[in-house]
Amino acid sequence: MLALWRDRRVRDILSQVGVGLILVGLTVWFVLNASANLRQAGIASGFDFLGRTSGIEVAFVLTDYTARSSIYDLLVVGVVNTIVVSLLSIVAATLLGFLIGLARLSRHWLIATVAGVYVEIVRNIPLLVFVFFMYGGVLAALPGPRDSFIFFGISALNNRGFTIPVPVDGALMRLALLAVTLSIAAHVVLALVSKKRRDATGQGLPMGVIGAVLLVLFPLGALSFATLMSTWDIPQLRGFNFRGGFVLVPEFVALFLALVTYTAGFIAEIVRGGIASVPKGQLEAARALGLSPMTTLRLVTVPLALRVIVPPMTSQYLNVLKNSSFGAAIAYPEVVSLFMGSALVATGQAVEIIAITLAIYLAIGLAVSAFMNWYNARVALVTR
Amino acid sequence: MSAPIALRGWSLWRARLFATPLDSAISIAVLLGLGVILQPLLIWAIANASWSGSTRADCSPGGACWVFIKARFGQFMYGFYPEPERWRPNLFGALVLTWGLAVLMRGTPRRGLIALVGVIVLPFLGLWLLYGGFGLREIETRQWGGLMLTLVLTYYAALIALPLAVILALGRRSRLPFLRLLSIIFIEFWRGVPILTVIFLASLLLPLIMPSGVGVDRLARAIIGLGLVIAAYMAEAFRGGLQAVPGGQAEASAALGLGHWRTTAFIILPQATRIALPALTNETIALLKNTSLVLVVSIFDLLGIAQAALADPTWVGFQVEAYVFAGAIYWVLCWALSALGLLLEARMAEGRERT
Repeated sequence: MLALWRDRRVRDILSQVGVGLILVGLTVWFVLNASANLRQAGIASGFDFLGRTSGIEVAFVLTDYTARSSIYDLLVVGVVNTIVVSLLSIVAATLLGFLIGLARLSRHWLIATVAGVYVEIVRNIPLLVFVFFMYGGVLAALPGPRDSFIFFGISALNNRGFTIPVPVDGALMRLALLAVTLSIAAHVVLALVSKKRRDATGQGLPMGVIGAVLLVLFPLGALSFATLMSTWDIPQLRGFNFRGGFVLVPEFVALFLALVTYTAGFIAEIVRGGIASVPKGQLEAARALGLSPMTTLRLVTVPLALRVIVPPMTSQYLNVLKNSSFGAAIAYPEVVSLFMGSALVATGQAVEIIAITLAIYLAIGLAVSAFMNWYNARVALVTR
Repeated sequence: MSAPIALRGWSLWRARLFATPLDSAISIAVLLGLGVILQPLLIWAIANASWSGSTRADCSPGGACWVFIKARFGQFMYGFYPEPERWRPNLFGALVLTWGLAVLMRGTPRRGLIALVGVIVLPFLGLWLLYGGFGLREIETRQWGGLMLTLVLTYYAALIALPLAVILALGRRSRLPFLRLLSIIFIEFWRGVPILTVIFLASLLLPLIMPSGVGVDRLARAIIGLGLVIAAYMAEAFRGGLQAVPGGQAEASAALGLGHWRTTAFIILPQATRIALPALTNETIALLKNTSLVLVVSIFDLLGIAQAALADPTWVGFQVEAYVFAGAIYWVLCWALSALGLLLEARMAEGRERT
């Protein structure tokens, strides 16, 4: 017996089987307890509840959901709201973060110091404090509709949210957005073709002109055409409130502002670290080769810095997605507050609802990771 | 090239702010911008602020009402912990601080023994002091709150997370495929979902999977949830440390006749911990910040008690004061943690330099 235990292979197998048995035992025990408890509470398990009428009013809806829709539609509203606030926050936080990160590297002492102070303050305070501050301290302190801040005469910011104009019929706008997406895709394809030709023959396509047309002129033209040709529903003050337009509720604006201010501090540090990691010799070599400062930035600094920046940036983007759940604390109708909150209270299907919510986050997270890994493989160092 | 000259006083500031005309223009613009932002802020927070009094009538409009914070200070610190018993959390805090100082100070005799005893005894002593029983008045966790609860959550969640993280990190690098797979699934699952949902999950599911009649305290549920998530993040920090320990260390240890477990405990882990320390500090700071999420399951930590205080009809409308106060305390705590992390790093680096 003891001799058998001394055999490493036997020991490996036995110890793994042991751990497996303990886990299976625990799981069975948990499941038995849970089903007994659920039976006692009179809750039938299963996913039938998704088809039931929800009866829950939601203040911020981008789909055609109404209180008469099903719980499943409610889930869709939550997921859409989560993705919308995450995406917008990611874009804005990346821009602000890059600005602050570059400012921290500025030769100018004052700019670098101010940026540094921002980063140090923001990173040491919980996000939830920002969310509450923006909601209870900033948005609630805005004037009422009658004294709104008006932007360009077409949008109004007040304590009931941010009212923006929307096209009456979105078809033309959607068509224009599709055309812009296609033109960007065309640019990507042409850039790849150009690179292949340049590698083979030394002569690529005139990417400067192509880029100007496909990335700037055509999108600008298409979007302004659609903007001018659509009829817009412009918010107008009627009595005590604004009519028309689309209201970005205060919860949305507060969550967005909080996510952006908070995440920008972290992105700034990533950007600073990435750029600082570019070896000085590379820049000196670029100058010795006669590259102009702009070309050096484009061909040397950015590609080398991106290698360092991309992996931590991925986890920041995923953090924004996960952190959008903080909206539940101020009742922004995202997936946690709608589904894990309202729907759970309405149906009592705790196990199923928790499982679905977690699965959604894991699925989106995996998709983002896969995309960023693909991108990272493209910018990663290729050694010959 | 001559050595740079150390600038002092006015010449230093001139070099920093007004080296070239462009620099001067930027400096002036930034200073003006700061003035525009900071001036009303300072007037609100200090010049026009009300400091003395006890009701909202003592607060002048147009300035911060710090009277609100003063009137609620006890609650912000201890929640609804009964006043005559507040010496208990104070004593526990003092004990932990003394222990920490004793372990950090070089001259302390038997430092290793003190460290070990503290790690094992203090958590139980803390439970007894805070909760009571055995001669002390029992105080339900429902009454705990404020800053004290924030610290309790951080302390006990970290206590769960650290050993679990070591096990998970070792499991993820294990030779045995089944253990490796389990560790990977555990780590990636908890890292993939928002902490807020984990706190919900712990508070809803823990009572469900226990036999009926066995209750799990609400605070304990939150601590377990936080501990599990932070363990997954800390496991990745430890894994980074483990990967960075040179392979020769384990081989040398084996050559000296140490078995697998002794090599892991006395050779690999100490070195891995040293390398992982900055990342571990960051995770601890993240834990402290994330304890604020427990307010979604109606546990009133520092931020939760601030939120609750705002619901009091006699003190309506002092959101900004409450959040600024809570934010400032969090900031100081996080700053202290990162300072502690830097100190530990410096301490651990000393052993390396001697060789």
